[in-house]
Amino acid sequence: MTELERSLRLLGEALAFPEAPDVSEAVQRRLVDIRPQRRRPSRRTLVLAFATLAVAIGAVMAVPPARTAVLELFGLRGATVQRVESLPTLPRPDPAPPELLLGNPLAIQGGRPWVKSPNVLIPAALGRPDAAYAAEEPYGLRLTLVYGPGDGVPRSQYTGVGILMTEFDGAIDTRYLDKMVDAGSTVEELTVGGNRALWLEGGPHFVVFRTADGSIGEDVGRLAGNTLLVENGELLVRIEGEIDRERAIEIAESLEP
Amino acid sequence: MGDRPLAEDDRVAQAKQGDTRAYGTLVEEHQTIAFRTAYLITGSAADAEDAVQEAFVKAYRALGRFRQGAPFRPWLLSIVANEARNRRRSAGRRERLALRAAEDPLSGGAVPSPEAALLDAEVREELLAAVNDLREDDRLAIACRYFLGLSEEETATTLGWRRGTVKSRTSRALDRLREHMEVER
Repeated sequence: MTELERSLRLLGEALAFPEAPDVSEAVQRRLVDIRPQRRRPSRRTLVLAFATLAVAIGAVMAVPPARTAVLELFGLRGATVQRVESLPTLPRPDPAPPELLLGNPLAIQGGRPWVKSPNVLIPAALGRPDAAYAAEEPYGLRLTLVYGPGDGVPRSQYTGVGILMTEFDGAIDTRYLDKMVDAGSTVEELTVGGNRALWLEGGPHFVVFRTADGSIGEDVGRLAGNTLLVENGELLVRIEGEIDRERAIEIAESLEP
Repeated sequence: MGDRPLAEDDRVAQAKQGDTRAYGTLVEEHQTIAFRTAYLITGSAADAEDAVQEAFVKAYRALGRFRQGAPFRPWLLSIVANEARNRRRSAGRRERLALRAAEDPLSGGAVPSPEAALLDAEVREELLAAVNDLREDDRLAIACRYFLGLSEEETATTLGWRRGTVKSRTSRALDRLREHMEVER
């Protein structure tokens, strides 16, 4: 260790950190209704399960319940969609966007969020967002545009807002965005404006972020409604709301820098 | 169950099974470093407290995804750091790191080593000012490594950076500080 490093260590000991509050009671109170979620199958397990199922495809109707847990696996750069039989139960978020932990609120100027990122897409079909948020995730910037209900868009029971549009910054290739889809919902592969897209409809899905090696996950901890996932240049855009496929496509097609 | 405290691994395993008491002991043990990590990122004690509380709840929910036997602290701190980033307010509101006054009671149970007193007061002030002036990533690298005492590996996990990034940012920051201080010969 150099002299400078030693000095920094000593400096650390002399720092006036504010006293750490005791959060243990507050945390305990909040754990009452929660149980740790069971480990989800790893990507390799999923691929193996998928391969197993593919081999046994002729007998798919007779597959015992334990093996029907994973029925399909789609890939869309950084996003995978797993179909599972049942979803974890989660408390519904409060209707206020802050509860969604979208990050820091951004000012909106000239109809655009004020953010230092070259990769921001605005849907002309929706116009000026009602609010915008940015969160720095380990995989990069996560930008969210919020549109309130109205104009034929109902308030979503999952997000408490009309439409939620999320854009992930470029470095997504090391991460996966998993969506666990209820057996009652449909997943459709589409092309939107020449770009690959997935449409998830009919049931809630669970939004989970995970690192490439599966070791650390950022669990947003909420269920999402109808969703269109679309690739656009460097970005993966997620459009979420109680809207139909055509409306979602129209919004996605209107995305512009 | 005997009176001897269980090893962390065992308590993590119990917490995974839904034992909130076992989890409570983990909260108590790690809440100070969790708070300091969050404070370094948010620059606000209130935001740091919110972030830590939320992170402990999220970590509990996510325990099923924690690989048994892996180090718990950096895994937890990565969730804390993430929560803290999401609460970071706009620039300009961050409180700068400050020194304890000599007569200050010790906060957070940290006991300074006798050598801490040996660092010249003037050097200390100057070095801290230089750290506070570092760019954000460099300041975080320095703070995690030297103020929180995290290893390179722990820093990487906590901040979600690659290990090489921790290395290069730390080394860049040390260069800046060295230029500033001319401490090194």
